[in-house]
Amino acid sequence: MLTEEKNINVEEQVVAYCKDNIINQDIKHPLYPARLGAYELFRAHGLPTTRNEQWKYTNISSKLERIPSQSDVKPVPVNLDNFINNFEIVKKAKENKDSVLVFMDGAMQSQLSIVNTDTKTVSVTSLKKDPIPDWAVKLNSEKHSQNVNEMFNLNTALMEDGAIININNNKGIADNIYIIHVGNNDGFYNYRHMINVQNGAHVNIIEFKISNKVDIEALYTSSIIWQIGNNCVVNNVKYQAHNQITIGFNQQYADIANDTEFNSFTISSGSKLLREFRDINCNGSNSNISISGINLLDGDSHIDTMLSVKHKAPNTISREKYKSILNDNSKGVFQGNIIVDDIAQKTIAKQSIDALILSKNAEHDAKPELEIYADDVQCGHGATTGQISQDSLFYLKSRGIPEEEAKRLLVHAFLTDALEEIKDKKILETFADVMNNMLNRVSKGNLNV
Amino acid sequence: MFNISNLTVSVEDNEILNNFSLDVGPGEVHAIMGPNGSGKSTLAHVCAGKEDYTVLNGEINLNGEDLLDLEADERSTKGLFLAFQYPIEIPGVTTLTFLKSSLEAHYKANNKEVLSTPDFMKLVKKKSAELNIDDSMIKRPLNVGFSGGEKKRNEILQMALLDPEICILDETDSGLDIDALRLVAEGVNNLRNEKRSFIVITHYQRLLDYIKPDFVHIMYNGKIIETGDSSLALELEKSGYNNYIK
Ligand SMILES: Nc1ncnc2c1ncn2[C@@H]1O[C@H](COP(=O)(O)OP(=O)(O)O)[C@@H](O)[C@H]1O
Ligand SMILES: [Mg+2]
Repeated sequence: MLTEEKNINVEEQVVAYCKDNIINQDIKHPLYPARLGAYELFRAHGLPTTRNEQWKYTNISSKLERIPSQSDVKPVPVNLDNFINNFEIVKKAKENKDSVLVFMDGAMQSQLSIVNTDTKTVSVTSLKKDPIPDWAVKLNSEKHSQNVNEMFNLNTALMEDGAIININNNKGIADNIYIIHVGNNDGFYNYRHMINVQNGAHVNIIEFKISNKVDIEALYTSSIIWQIGNNCVVNNVKYQAHNQITIGFNQQYADIANDTEFNSFTISSGSKLLREFRDINCNGSNSNISISGINLLDGDSHIDTMLSVKHKAPNTISREKYKSILNDNSKGVFQGNIIVDDIAQKTIAKQSIDALILSKNAEHDAKPELEIYADDVQCGHGATTGQISQDSLFYLKSRGIPEEEAKRLLVHAFLTDALEEIKDKKILETFADVMNNMLNRVSKGNLNV
Repeated sequence: MFNISNLTVSVEDNEILNNFSLDVGPGEVHAIMGPNGSGKSTLAHVCAGKEDYTVLNGEINLNGEDLLDLEADERSTKGLFLAFQYPIEIPGVTTLTFLKSSLEAHYKANNKEVLSTPDFMKLVKKKSAELNIDDSMIKRPLNVGFSGGEKKRNEILQMALLDPEICILDETDSGLDIDALRLVAEGVNNLRNEKRSFIVITHYQRLLDYIKPDFVHIMYNGKIIETGDSSLALELEKSGYNNYIK
């Protein structure tokens, strides 16, 4: 079979790439044991196939044909500085003295980044700098030792750079940290952020991932590992707009202690293939989390979200609300697991996955799964797939609203309750323009079904 | 002013309107009455530009311009308004947002300066007070959870804001109690003037006690089979449709 052959080819390429990478690593580096272990695991299992239940609807080999060849020199282009500074959001962030961390092709750009040192509550280093803080080494090896996720292992074996962020504030005033990642050159990039939110800290972390040009062929793996303490408020919004040839595998792990609020919202658009893996653990009681998002897919984009929320202590609340809009030949996949341990009494867990399909050939598969071992819980899930209602469209048009604007209103209406999961009103405002642009694109697209 | 001539319309190979003609002059009120299924809503939808119908023949002219080639939104901005028999519920779009988009679309299409937000709010407040519509209603999602009466008052509010030349009211009286009916009829009567015309589609003579028509037409099987003045509605009420249906 042709696809099998392809898979074996690209898999061999990836294994060889890992091997070269491992040989070049310093064996005394504190992350080396994790790297080596991850490499061995990856070599043993290879790339996941659709036989793996977690990859049932996503065939990597049909999307990933090769490792994109990398240009030897990767200079920071003169225009990148301009590009970043032209970002309205970055301008505002700088004015507000927020921290802005800039990455290009997986590598931190210290000369373009600013860390607010005034408050002494945020400290940032990178994976490339020595010494790696002890907590980061520990977190890394913990996650690695329990891990069976192939793409995470690949990321561990290959990770080159990433932000290591420690937040230690306790006055109830949130630190704002922007992480901006620009894809600027063809190639294979691997990075990992680790974020330690100490007891009582409030933080907003806003990530942007964008392709600078439409023809950059990037393959990447990225991971974020969150360690969140007691009594924290963490708002995380990630906006990723890749071009149509980027392939990305994102892993997010979060461990959440007691009495903490964690809201993580993802807006994704574009990509040839994008995998969003999330593993969220409510380890302490009385925490309240929302893992939600919006996917906007067109062309041949394929976005696969694999979400697992584990309630491991009593009295925790989780909400997952995802809305997808699919056009052209795009495909969306959502697998959402909610696991409630036997001690996690009084858990409230709600999941809703809705898709709005705008074309004949777009497809959305949603598979919710509940594993509940406690008896006193409220858990529910629902999934819908629908189209724009012609009656609604006619009603709006009959009031003079042109078709494009009417569709925009209806698409926005569909997204509204998901957007409400962005709990920080300032962040929501920040995203108003971004959302508007996105909606313009959707309503201007060839939506004529 | 508004002229429908020889309109023949089919849906899925069934002819619903059959060589239908009607001329409405400026400031006139025409009532169209007829049993269920005679094609009244179809007529209203075709005039407003709904796409599920096949127009086999005929013309719909507003001030001499054929509307049939125009999209629904263009017909609206040119001055046609349809008050729906069943207004559509749209969760996620507040009534206020909807009214604003709609009014702005009208101003833009007619090269008028768009109202500032405070002026828009003032206008909405004034018009909605006249229809007993309170603030909380216009802040709710469009028609969602509205009672029958609220939905119909909302239709009349839109009509009042958009300032149309020809208004088609499709069974605006259905599902209304007598107080709501009076309110809606008053709203319509306030909008009557020497230029604005109305086609009032109804089952019941009752509404015509409040909105006095200049002409009453009986519609059956996709065409008008009888025309008279307001006394025709009274007769119809007494004797029923059977006398007119051959
Ligand atoms: N979308 C449609 N598809 C099929 N038949 C329709 C459709 N709309 C209307 N009809 C038919 O056309 C006829 C007239 O309907 P309608 O215009 O709603 O009548 P009225 O408003 O006078 O009660 C009915 O027989 C109805 O079943
Ligand atoms: Mg009807």
